[in-house]
Formats: sequence, structure tokens, C-alpha cells
Amino acid sequence: MQIRFEKKLEPSRKMLFATPILAVILTMILGAIVFSILGYDGLGAVREIFLTPLTNSLKWQDLAVKAAPLIIIGVGLSIGYRANVWNIGAEGQYIAGGLAATGMALLTHNMSGWYLLPLMGIAGMLGGMAWVFLPALLRTKLKVNEILTSLMLTYVAIQLLNYLIFGPWKSPTSFGQPQTVLFNDWQILPYIIKGTIVQAGAPIAVLIAIMAWLIMSKSVFGFQVRTVGSAPNAARYGGFSENKTIWLVLLISGGLAGLAGMLEVAGPFNRMVPQFPAGYGFTAIIVAFLGRLHPIGVLIAGVVLAITFVGGEVAQTTIGLPNAAVGLFQAMMLFLLLAGDVLVRYNIKIIRARRA
Amino acid sequence: MSIDLTIAIIITMVGASTPLLLAALGELVVEKSGVLNLGVEGMMLTGAVVGFAVTYTTGNPWLGILAAGFAGACVSMIFAFLTLSLFANQVATGLALTIFGAGFSALFGQAFTGKPIKLFKSIFPDYLTDHPILRVFFDHSPLVYFSLFMVFAVSYFLYKTRAGLVLRAVGENDHSAHSIGYSVIKVRYGAVGFGGMMAGIGGACFPLLLTPQWVEGLTGGRGWIALALVVFSAWKPTRLLAGAYLFGLIATMEVYAKAAGGGFRIIPSELWASLPYLATILVLVLISLRHKMSSSAPACLGKPFIPSN
Repeated sequence: MQIRFEKKLEPSRKMLFATPILAVILTMILGAIVFSILGYDGLGAVREIFLTPLTNSLKWQDLAVKAAPLIIIGVGLSIGYRANVWNIGAEGQYIAGGLAATGMALLTHNMSGWYLLPLMGIAGMLGGMAWVFLPALLRTKLKVNEILTSLMLTYVAIQLLNYLIFGPWKSPTSFGQPQTVLFNDWQILPYIIKGTIVQAGAPIAVLIAIMAWLIMSKSVFGFQVRTVGSAPNAARYGGFSENKTIWLVLLISGGLAGLAGMLEVAGPFNRMVPQFPAGYGFTAIIVAFLGRLHPIGVLIAGVVLAITFVGGEVAQTTIGLPNAAVGLFQAMMLFLLLAGDVLVRYNIKIIRARRA
Repeated sequence: MSIDLTIAIIITMVGASTPLLLAALGELVVEKSGVLNLGVEGMMLTGAVVGFAVTYTTGNPWLGILAAGFAGACVSMIFAFLTLSLFANQVATGLALTIFGAGFSALFGQAFTGKPIKLFKSIFPDYLTDHPILRVFFDHSPLVYFSLFMVFAVSYFLYKTRAGLVLRAVGENDHSAHSIGYSVIKVRYGAVGFGGMMAGIGGACFPLLLTPQWVEGLTGGRGWIALALVVFSAWKPTRLLAGAYLFGLIATMEVYAKAAGGGFRIIPSELWASLPYLATILVLVLISLRHKMSSSAPACLGKPFIPSN
């Protein structure tokens, strides 16, 4: 018996939609088996991580809070990945955005007015863009691989964060804790529904996904990004500048990651703290792929990954599953999705050996 | 600078360079076969936690290293299967491997937090390792000599053996290699497995050679720096050695600058800690200024191979 792969003339649209769902289901099955082998309550782990956040309505607000940054960063990354530009340093741009927004908040701490939050938002986006500026410059001018440069700068961003909150930005009233002062009332995101923890980040995330969808499907820019990514020669022939596209997609993904940083620091945290880098920038890479690099897909995938985060916390308290297990589930999901890609692009033929 | 301090710096530098050198040597062979595995960081973390666990439970660092190499090779097979047998995107799969390694090591390592092991020190007699001058040659972990031996071994394999020639041919022109009867996929499976083993052993250097305890995410991006080193070396093992020691020196400067005090105090420790990452970017820039990267990179790097029949 022999297995042969034959390339399909066109990628299967049916499989393109089916494989992410298949990957999530297989992750649950495989996860239950693997964690049972590791000596945990495997079925319980899958139930708590994937189902409890959905069935328990008290957890829905947590989902909205966790999904927002994942979606905002994921949308930006997916646009870049479409163009074959691999920004994997979104975590650094998220931190830089959070720091820039914090800087603006500290600068305007004595002021009041509705305009403070938009100012912080702009600062956040500029911070994220600044952090992606060097990778973009080096990629377009010198063809230096953006994967390594964007990732290296993430570690630098973490050091910058530590320097600022252990040093010049440390609150004088925090009893030695490395953190900034609390933001004032005008610098904190408003709550959307009274009595919940859902702040303006969640609706902004939905809005960004819808806007990105319209831009990517209806505008020339969307077409340009897709062409540069899938057919660079045709793009060049068609007059699309590759370098301009790289600049744009990197600035967009950096700016959105920065905005996500601002929304986190002005939202759930209300100040800059050492726990600020929570790995959203890395998880958003999985979100982008699971969402098939499509803004609406990213929206759904962001919620799925948020479920695993919230469910991980549930599983930690109810069945004592270490929080790190979530990362393993997420990685498994991405592996299975990538394995499923073969079904999108190839026909699999099983050939039985015939006797001569 | 006194001779004692110089020797101490050299010994620290060599130690700090060894994990980078091992992981980068493995990745060099992988890339020579035409495959780009971005999962080095994940494989290092896997090796680090397995190496620690086995050393802690058996008390035998040799077993720890063997287990780390085996574990690294095992997880690299996930990458190999997805990219070589199922033609998955190499960049995305490599990233997934890093996320996997981070999750696996964090989960598996929790049980070992706060537990001490002994550093895997030199096996030479005391009169050599304590000698004020000679210790520069003898006061190293066996892992250091292993890494130096591997520089020679990889170099010899790639350029002086038939198998090495086949591996390079597969990386330079996969379809030609296939048409004259070599199995591109098998060669690449072997190369990826070797890369996984080396990254696993490199990861085990962190608890065995540098800090004798388990800390989550202890590799701190060294796997990515190893990837940059391969580019820096222009895919030549001997230049890799120079590059790895240069980075080891930069990492060592942080330690000694803090201890030296004086003028060094003005520079915040966070800047020292950022230096290896900034230096990596600088090195990538210098290389692309010097010569076109594409000229020395294996021609089939990162491209999937789909047999035509």
C-alpha cells in the first residue's frame, strides 16, 4: 500500500473552513488522552478548559476581556501573514504600546477630559509602530529577516518595561512595589455594561475585525496584500510595490498590537505592572492561523483561544490542573491545524499494491 | 585587568556560549539540508526540562544529557512529519514547535521548581582545574569539549564525507538529488532529528552548566539567537564557533560589569540584559551589508519538496 498526495488545482474551500473546526475537536480528543496518560484527569481537563467557560454564564465576561487583545493583535498579524510578512514580535509591540500609553497617562495625570483616552490610544498605536519600525526598515532596505529582528525586540521591550517601572516610573506611594501610580478616572476605559468587567476593549475588537474584513475584501489595498503574498511576481508586474506593502502591513500589525497594549493598561490593569506581558502577542499567532488569516475567522478564533485561557483558570481551581497545560493545548491545536492543511491543498490517494 | 580575572571571564564566556553553539550547529545541518526549523527555542526548552528531570532523579548528568538529546530529537519529529510528510508551512510549524516546547517545559517543570541539582563540572583532576593558568584549558564541563568536538565533526561530515555531500546536494537542488536516486525526505528527516538532538543537549546546558535549577523559560530566547548565528556564520561550522563565543562574551559582560561597578554602574542592568538581543540585530545588519545573504544560503532553504512521481 502506498499513500500519494496529488496537488489540487485549487485549494478546497470546504476544507479551509472544516479543518479549523476539526483541529479544535481533535485537540479535545487527543488532549483528553495525552493528559490521562500524564496522570491528570484528562476528560475533566477538556471539560473544564473547553466547555465550562461556555456553559457557565458567569464566565462570559471573562471571555470578552481575554478575547479582545487576542482579536486586535490577531487581525493585525493575519494581514501581515497574508502578505508573507512574518511579524512574530507582536508581544514586544504590545508592551511598547502599553508603555507609550502609560507615558501619556503619566504626562496628563493632572488633567481631566474625554480626550485623554484617545490621546493614550494614539500613543499606544505609535508605540507599537515604533517597535516595528526597525524590523520594517531593515527588511525593506537591507532584506534582513523580520522574524528574528521583531522577536529580538520583544526581549528588549521587556527589559525597557522593567527599567521604567523599577526606576523612573515607580510610584512613590506603592511601598516599594514596582508599578506606576493608578491612572485617573478619565484615563480608565469605561465599562460597557454596568456591573460587569467588560470594558470598551471588547466592542473595539469587534469593530476592528469588521473594518479589517471590509478593507481586505473590498479595497485595492486588500487585493495588493493578497497578491504580494501569493504571487509576488504578478504583484510586481501589476505595479504594486513590495516594499510599500511590507511597510504598511508591519505598521498596521504593530499599531494594532500597540493599541491592544493601551486597552489592556487602561482597562483591566489601570496602571503599568510587571505582569503586563501576558503572552497575548504570541497566542495571537495561533489566533491568526486558526482564523485562517481572515478577519472574521480571527474574531471567532480569538474567542476560542480566550475560552482555553478562561477554562485553564477554571481547571486550575477545580481539578488542580497546572496553568501551563493551556499552552500545551494551544500548541496541539496549531499542530493539528497545520497537519490538516494537507487536506486543503492535496488529494490523498491510497494505492494498493497490485500483483503483477 | 589581572590574569585571574581574564581567565575567569574566558571560562564564563565559554560556558555561556556552549548552549548556543550546540543548538546552532544542529540547526546549521538542518538548514544545509534545505529545511528551516524555527522551533529551536522549543526544542531547547524541551531538552532543558528533560535533562534537568533525569539528572535530578538519577543524579547522573550523563544520563540527563542523553535524555535531553533524545527528547529534542523526539519533538523535532513532530516538525519533520508535518513539514516533510504533510508539506505544512515550515515557518508556522516551527513557531508551533516553540509554543509547544514552552508549554511542555512549563507543565513538566513545575514539579521541579526550587529543587537543586549539581552543576556538571570538569572531570579533570583538581590540580589541573585549580591551577591558576592551566584551568583555562581544564576547568570546563564535558559539555564544552563535546561542543568543540562537534564543530569539528560537523565540519568533517559536511565537507569530507559522501553522506555530507548528499545532504548538501539535497539542500542545494532537491529535484536533482531526487532524480539521481537519493531520498530527499529521508535525508531531511535525519537532518531535522540531528538538529533536534543538538538543540535538546544545548537546552540541557542551561541547568547543567549555567544555573543548577529549573526556571520556567530559562533559555530566554537563546534558541532564536542560535538561528541568527547560523545566518551570521554563512552556514560554516568554524565561523559558527567564533560567532557563538562572541555572543557568550556579550552575555558575560553583563555579569562582570555589575561586579566591576564604577563607571559601569551608570548603565542600567536592563540595558546590559538587552545587549545580546540588540547585538543579534546589529550582526544581522552587518551581514546583509557585507554580502548578499542569498549567495551563501542553501538554495532550497525553507521550500517544501514534493516528489514529482
